[in-house]
Amino acid sequence: MNTVLEVSGLTKQYDGIRAVDDLTFSLGEHTATALIGPNGSGKTTTLSMLAGLLRQTSGTIRFSGEGKDPRSAIGFLPQYPKFFPWMTAIEYMELAAGLSGLEGRSVRSACEKTLGFVGLGDAGKKRIGGFSGGMKQRLGLAQAIVHRPSLLLLDEPVSALDPAGRREVMEMLKELGGSTTILYSTHILNDAEEMTDQLLFLRSGKLIEQGPLREVREKYGGSGYRVLFNNPEAAERFAASAPWAARADGSAVTISGEAVSMEELLRYAGGHPAGITNIGRVSVRLEDIFMKVVERP
Amino acid sequence: MKQFSLLLGKELREQARSFKLFWVPLVFIFFGALEPLTYHFLPQILESVGNLPEGAEFMLPEMTGADVYASLTGQYQTIGLLVLVLAFMGSLSGERKSGTGTLLYVRPISYSTYYLSKWTAAVLLAFASLWLGYGMAATYIVQLYETVPGFTDVALFLLVMAAWLIFVVTLTLTASAALPTGGAAGAALGILFIGMMIDSLVGTYWTWSPWKLQGYGLMYLTGSPESGDLAGALGVTALITVLLILFGIRQARKNAAKAKV
Repeated sequence: MNTVLEVSGLTKQYDGIRAVDDLTFSLGEHTATALIGPNGSGKTTTLSMLAGLLRQTSGTIRFSGEGKDPRSAIGFLPQYPKFFPWMTAIEYMELAAGLSGLEGRSVRSACEKTLGFVGLGDAGKKRIGGFSGGMKQRLGLAQAIVHRPSLLLLDEPVSALDPAGRREVMEMLKELGGSTTILYSTHILNDAEEMTDQLLFLRSGKLIEQGPLREVREKYGGSGYRVLFNNPEAAERFAASAPWAARADGSAVTISGEAVSMEELLRYAGGHPAGITNIGRVSVRLEDIFMKVVERP
Repeated sequence: MKQFSLLLGKELREQARSFKLFWVPLVFIFFGALEPLTYHFLPQILESVGNLPEGAEFMLPEMTGADVYASLTGQYQTIGLLVLVLAFMGSLSGERKSGTGTLLYVRPISYSTYYLSKWTAAVLLAFASLWLGYGMAATYIVQLYETVPGFTDVALFLLVMAAWLIFVVTLTLTASAALPTGGAAGAALGILFIGMMIDSLVGTYWTWSPWKLQGYGLMYLTGSPESGDLAGALGVTALITVLLILFGIRQARKNAAKAKV
């Protein structure tokens, strides 16, 4: 796979504090990478350096498109995009597209098309000053993608949106993912789970875990089974008598996926059916991984 | 060039929509009209508002057109400069603070284009204000006063004033590139007014300084300035202006990192 971005030893130091400390990772073409970490872990600082807003203290950032200004190949959406309130959406888009190098008659139609894509098709002639937070977020996405960048950097692209808006924007990002490399920070882990080829976990500026979602998931508990009971006593009895390691928690029993296959489990449960209401496969959620990774000493 | 015209278009549109395009020239026009009218009608004004004792008489000096221009220039040197500095003090710093600049800085713009687009828009507005203001004054002066300076002399005077205003605008924009808005206003106004004070107190010891430009310019209205002094002052002003522009571009680039993300 072609590499779009290679980062090595990226460090940013502010007054002796390392906000970003020795990051090394690379992004493959047309992949989506989630940058995950608690508040203050250096996500925004990292994205700002990649976008060319901040200069790193040390380390290198290499883009595949050598030679030209890397900023022309990047689309950037800050967490709270700020626009000139006196401009209309279409005026802003034309300015953004023009500054990123789009020229000619196609600019207007490209801007209109992009506004339509983010759901602002009817708001093009309205002043941005009157936009709601959600509309600004959409316009932010539109300005980031209008010049068809090969790398899209998004800082918390959906945190400020309501559930419906979040859904829509995630769908848009998935659609863009087919033709663009995306690196986005988020703390909404359900979203990351949905659209991620690679995870980067940041804590206090350090990259403490990285890899494809599947690998990380296996590393932190993999998948397993959960058996639900109609009362806690039945659950405890089941866990105590089961031939493999089983953990009762209230009226649920969790069994590691490595210990037993589904077939064996079902056979065993068939012999001890008392109180069972539900048997299912569970895979460890990103949220649990997040807690484990972040709280790991 | 494409980027320059886009950014200049943005600046001019901003001037129009934030009404700077109207209120800055209006202040100049207002004083341009007020000054000649006030001096012309001063005797009548005193008579109608002043509870002067019976028989009191003022000897008012006979004002010439040149005197009115000089007095108006004094007004512009305080209120005019204040208005220009206030209008442009946030030109760069405001975009950093609000975060609107962030989405410009992540695009492949050059900071010289960015700075110079703002500079051009600001200089255009300053010129428009200057010429509309003095144009308004000239209209009244020609009709109300007996001795008036010739057209060429006034034009030469305005050219010198234009050089001074370019200096003022450049200083303001560079301050805005280097400092937050409040500091920028303080620095620009401080340098302008302290410079004026120094020049009026001990300025006899030198002849080449931006602060002497308006004085030299006014000499065109009554005679002509010492050409060597004027050329020297213009040269020094041009040099400082160019250095300020270069410094401003560097600061704009350096401070882009301070833009709110």
